Amino acid sequence: MKIRVNLWLGAVLFVTVVLAGILAPWLAHTDPVMDANLMNAETPPGAEFWFGTDAQGRDIYSRVLHGARISLTVGIVTQLINTVIGVALGMSAGYWGGWWDDVVSGLTNMMLAIPSLVFALAVMAILTPGLTSLLIALGLTNWSHTCRLSRAATLSVRNQGYIRAAQVLGFSDLHIMMREVLPNIAGPIIVIGTLGMGGAVLAEASLSFLGLGIRPPYPSWGSMLSDARDQITTAPWVSIFPGLAIFITVLGLNLLGDGLRDILDPQDRARRS
Amino acid sequence: MLSFLLRRLMQTVPILVAVAGLIFVLFSVIPGSFESSLMDDGKSMIDEQTVQRIRKELGLDQPVAVRFVRYVGSLATLDLGTSFRTRQPVTTVIAERLWPTLKLALAATLFAVVLGIPLGFLAAMRPGTLIDSASMVVAVSGLSLPKFWLGLLLMYLFALTLGWLPSFGYGNGGISHLILPAIALGVSPLGLLARTTRAAVLDIMNADFVRTARSKGMSEVRVVRWHLARNALVIVLTTVGLQFGSVIGQAVVVEKLFAWPGLGSLLVDSVSLRDIPVVQGCILTLVLFFLVVNLVVDVLAALVDPRIRYT
Amino acid sequence: MLKKLTLAAVLALMALPAEAQTPRPGGTIRFTAAYGSSFSSMDIHATNRTQDEIWAWAIHRRLYSWDTAQNKPVPELMTSVTPSAGGLVHTFKLLDNVYFHHGKKLSTDDVIWTFTRIMDGSKGFPGARYVRNIKGAVEVEKGQAKEIAGLKKIDDLTFEMTLTEKSDPGFMFMAGTTSIYPSDIGGNADYITKPSGLGPFKFVEHIPGSRLVGDKWEKYYKPGKPYADRIVISIMGEAAARDVAFRNKEIDVSILGPTQYVAYRADPELSKNILEVAEVFTRNMGMNPSFKPFADKRVRQAINHAIDTDLIIKRLVKDKAFRATGWLPLTSPAYDKSLQPYAFDQAKAKQLLVDAGYPDGFEFEWTATSNESWGIPIVEAVIPMLAKVGVKVKIKPVEGAVLAETIRKGDFQAYIWSNATGPDPLTAMKCYHSKTPQTACNYVKFANAEVDTLLDEAAATDDAAKRIELIKKANAIVYAEAPIWFFNYNKAVLAYQPWLKGLQANATELALQHYDEMWVDASSPAAK
Repeated sequence: MKIRVNLWLGAVLFVTVVLAGILAPWLAHTDPVMDANLMNAETPPGAEFWFGTDAQGRDIYSRVLHGARISLTVGIVTQLINTVIGVALGMSAGYWGGWWDDVVSGLTNMMLAIPSLVFALAVMAILTPGLTSLLIALGLTNWSHTCRLSRAATLSVRNQGYIRAAQVLGFSDLHIMMREVLPNIAGPIIVIGTLGMGGAVLAEASLSFLGLGIRPPYPSWGSMLSDARDQITTAPWVSIFPGLAIFITVLGLNLLGDGLRDILDPQDRARRS
Repeated sequence: MLSFLLRRLMQTVPILVAVAGLIFVLFSVIPGSFESSLMDDGKSMIDEQTVQRIRKELGLDQPVAVRFVRYVGSLATLDLGTSFRTRQPVTTVIAERLWPTLKLALAATLFAVVLGIPLGFLAAMRPGTLIDSASMVVAVSGLSLPKFWLGLLLMYLFALTLGWLPSFGYGNGGISHLILPAIALGVSPLGLLARTTRAAVLDIMNADFVRTARSKGMSEVRVVRWHLARNALVIVLTTVGLQFGSVIGQAVVVEKLFAWPGLGSLLVDSVSLRDIPVVQGCILTLVLFFLVVNLVVDVLAALVDPRIRYT
Repeated sequence: MLKKLTLAAVLALMALPAEAQTPRPGGTIRFTAAYGSSFSSMDIHATNRTQDEIWAWAIHRRLYSWDTAQNKPVPELMTSVTPSAGGLVHTFKLLDNVYFHHGKKLSTDDVIWTFTRIMDGSKGFPGARYVRNIKGAVEVEKGQAKEIAGLKKIDDLTFEMTLTEKSDPGFMFMAGTTSIYPSDIGGNADYITKPSGLGPFKFVEHIPGSRLVGDKWEKYYKPGKPYADRIVISIMGEAAARDVAFRNKEIDVSILGPTQYVAYRADPELSKNILEVAEVFTRNMGMNPSFKPFADKRVRQAINHAIDTDLIIKRLVKDKAFRATGWLPLTSPAYDKSLQPYAFDQAKAKQLLVDAGYPDGFEFEWTATSNESWGIPIVEAVIPMLAKVGVKVKIKPVEGAVLAETIRKGDFQAYIWSNATGPDPLTAMKCYHSKTPQTACNYVKFANAEVDTLLDEAAATDDAAKRIELIKKANAIVYAEAPIWFFNYNKAVLAYQPWLKGLQANATELALQHYDEMWVDASSPAAK
């Protein structure tokens, strides 16, 4: 019997992280920015500071909790933007075909070809560093995967009987796309969505590593990791906990995505045949 | 097939021009300039006269539109311009880094393929069970670990503690220097490949024709070998190709850590130094590389699976 | 008290003579270039970055070089240099036995060719700012003349240099960007990739992004030197990677950051081979007087009192710095021991702010890079301290190139940076002369008539002792006016393997070493 471990494990991990982020102001012990007491700098994990303190003497436990808000916001919002753009372009391209399809395909190929980190880097360097800029930069970077997928899925669904029927019945294109096509391609898109969230969290970490992430001193897991890289041997706890947080979140999202794919795809196949 | 190839090759040109244009525009509005990057270590401010001369020498005093037109024109003759930093032709600067980059990309992809595909297979054979999740956790670990960490860990373990491998550098181009960076870079594609293989195999296993073959009475082993392998191969091949194409862009951190002379670190360094011609040259090289790999993968996929027909 | 002892110990370290052992010939020196992940260029005229000087000191020579023991520039490549009575004309007599790596003998033509090249108006060579001090150089730059009038050839080994104002040519021509090139390379593009110079090692290979290798130059003009057969300079910008490679004995030297400094000092073996020196860099926070609160001296002094600088140096910078008491650093000849550090006194800071009309404090934007020693990590530690006196800080993170540009343009409210404040104290102090533009080094647009007078007098006088006195006075006034937050002077730390000898405590930049004085003893893995 299949226990669907992936799905449940992934869901548990992800929900835990989300709750931690939402409840951060109540769960945290200190203010993540202002409570920087140099006298406590680089204390190992203990009774007072559960995860230890960083080089400025700030409580890492509190910063990891508050960092969850940033990292999750980046993951969720960015992927939402990606999905909306990708589905809109991909679905319409697959449905209408013709010159619009050529335009979208060309655009998609171009975006796929440019290394996403480079593009995000360039955009971040132009806009001032900050959360909004990061959301825009990452949101504009990864829609190509969703677009390609939506287009392919739309193409395979387009010639199905029920679509033709709806067209004959006189429903508008928009109606058909939203009501008939979208639900049928939703499965793989949701899967890519969850996987993409994990990618966005990692992308935020990389950008912070390169100095172009969110605006300090507010914590994000990526910037915490990047700040701590010279202290890996002397104060490993400063990088272990944010690293672990990233790991658990991305792991949860990926397992969730895999589990969702297992559920959604076979049903899809059954519906279609 | 031939017309398909020609069409794809023709599509490459406008994509390259569009990318060149996009990057050009982006980097024209970026704050900071080449001359200001020369002063960032606070040692000596370059005086105004020399700054003006630098700008004149590099052509930065021309308006953006003029520079862009000139750039596209020179692209037609395959002249990528001159690096602000080294005053050498960009083609030379990039060529020096090309072979080490390819080596690293190949090694990392090989590592990912050799370990990732069997892992994905294993997980797909027992879907939804603990083995499945365990394999996926291992795979996803690769995806979720910061490469910097992993690289340092590998250095500590294999170079410092065990002393089996050198900890940095290109060496004389031998294999021993290649191993650690390749592993650090390959762990992420490994994860992706494992998951993709798992998904592809699962899809195929549930498909109609497999059920048909089983109902005809073919033995389990033959079912796996003949049908699964070939169809999954297409999907996996596509992923391998895409990963190979994109792994170069991901190599930056690994290159910087291991002092590996690749394109990734050249790109990031050039961005910091605002050496725009090299940045554009690198990006165009990466894009071209990616497009070529894509094309090769599509062709190979068609060869493997005769059902795929390109018009 | 303890601090004074440490200070004395460090200063004594610098004065230690080189070890009295016989240098062993042979072996490979495995050096590292820690300030980036690449070299800018193999044409040293085109770059003024420290990272490039690291390889240039192996391949090239300049007219002067920094003598660590005497703490001043001394002539290289010549038998004598005689200033004239007026002090503007200097007569140089070159050595007779100096050869370039491709065999050509050094002559006056090479010096003249080099300086004329640097003044080429179609190129932007950073060294122009030094060569411009030679009479007639500006005309060459503008294209009005083909030769530098103030550089006259007397014969193949003698030439005369006329300066535009009285200054020591040593400070100007010890810079790596003024290295002497051979005059017979002309338009040979290969030169940029395979440089030929006068240095102790001749160029063998450069793998961009990885390393540079040089072999011993047999015809080096200092007999018996270099001792080593080969030098390999590996480019390693990541401190953690250098740490591993050093412990694994794959490299011979490593510049230490604050974290490694703590670890190496605590290790019984590693702590024996650490070289420390107070470098001539002052870390500071510049305050733009165009931003209203910073126009008031009381506010600026309040900032200096509100920050617990000693604690930051001790805890965050891990004691890898010295408290700054004035613009001029410890090793400067014009350093004033008597100046007291600004006391950490938040009550006083609060009072000063109230007096200046800011009882509720104010908010400002602090521009910073992510540098661990003088960047955002420092700012993050300062934020709560300033918050206690009501001053709120917003961080504006920027890249290095952007920082330099915003400061030159004056496009900031406050910034944090590390500036070179030596070795010549007059050049360093001139930053606070009102005539110095913001694009040059007067970033905080400092203007004080008394300081101007003192500095003008110091430039005019021939009496070295008097000059130092005048500069000291100017330094003291600037200190009281507090145009900046005086943070610290850099303590550079270099870890070296026990088999590498001949290192010197170079206060201008510890990473720059005289490779011809170094040797490798038999215990090195690269001793052959």
